[in-house]
Amino acid sequence: MAMSEPVLRQYLAVGAILFAIGLIGFMTRRNLIVLFLSTEVMFQGVAVNFIAFGRYHGSLEGQAFVIFLLAIAAAEAALALGLIVQLFRRRHTLDAESWRELKG
Amino acid sequence: MFAVFPTFAGAPLAAGAIPPVLVLAMCVVAGVGTVLVLPGSHERSVRTIGGGALLCVFLIFAALLIRQGAMKGAGQVYFWLFAAIAILSAVRVISHDKPVYSALYFLLTVVATAGLFVLLWAEFMAAALVLIYAGAIVATYVFVIMLAQQTGSVGRATEGGDYDRISREPIAACAVGFTLMGLILFVIFDMVSFVGPTKLPKGGEAQGTAQRLGEHLFTSQVVSLEMAAVILAMAVVGAVVIAGRKVAEPAPAREPTGDVHDVDPKQVPVYGTDERRTKVYPEK
Repeated sequence: MAMSEPVLRQYLAVGAILFAIGLIGFMTRRNLIVLFLSTEVMFQGVAVNFIAFGRYHGSLEGQAFVIFLLAIAAAEAALALGLIVQLFRRRHTLDAESWRELKG
Repeated sequence: MFAVFPTFAGAPLAAGAIPPVLVLAMCVVAGVGTVLVLPGSHERSVRTIGGGALLCVFLIFAALLIRQGAMKGAGQVYFWLFAAIAILSAVRVISHDKPVYSALYFLLTVVATAGLFVLLWAEFMAAALVLIYAGAIVATYVFVIMLAQQTGSVGRATEGGDYDRISREPIAACAVGFTLMGLILFVIFDMVSFVGPTKLPKGGEAQGTAQRLGEHLFTSQVVSLEMAAVILAMAVVGAVVIAGRKVAEPAPAREPTGDVHDVDPKQVPVYGTDERRTKVYPEK
């Protein structure tokens, strides 16, 4: 039983809202760690979209994609936290503004 | 735009049940609320008002969808519960002053999203999401937060820095974010008449079990699976290399006092030989 379209729309709306919230957080917060938490919120929104579409089409492609998304999110978290630790050792602050000169 | 979908529950349903003007108005109000609720130079009461505005917009949106008749059946209660928890805790993730609380609210978002996955018959993905995010990623984030806030005094660790209390360009960011959200919602609710399901799931409802997902992964997604494994291994190695590197601390500048103890023996010129290690001090 595939789900009907209004139900799909609800899930897509939740995914869109989560993605937008994460985007706003990524642009406004200045703490490096909260920046990456915001990207994880965006990942959640995308994952909801994938699973809902997979359910709608009755296939497993969406879930398979979310597995790869989880793998990429884990890799991103590991690398990002390593970089954050390194940046914190240099400036002793988590403020993203202290790396302003990286803007070029 | 107002195509009729007779497929839903036998009743025709207008696709554009939420007018775009309403979506626009809700996005504007929610944007203002988000600007207020973000950490900034606002008072706490102002931020509470912003949060209340966001909550009201969410409730209005839910009421519109409910009036649209999209929710029938007991599962919809759980959908609204999980969606509300996910979205409100996501708002708290980006609006809380203290990063530890942000991480914990993100945990709440993850658990609510896992609930949505269960509603979508993706049980294995729900379990994997909770295991990977709650078990691994959030724990790592909390560790790094505690490590990074350890240096200051106790008061500073609980207070957080200035950079946690002042947002960067909240108005522009909310304009961009809610423009994006409004466009996506407009497309979802107005523009697209979805293509129908291409095929029905084989095996009835049990499509999210680990067995079926594993069969799918290892038959049609083998190359992607191996690439994911390689990426994870590379990320682990890269994280160890990046985080394990010693930072060259800039040496504190010392005032030369002229004392003999300030003289680095390696800096004393050596006469008579090129080998500095054997003869440190010049012979008379």
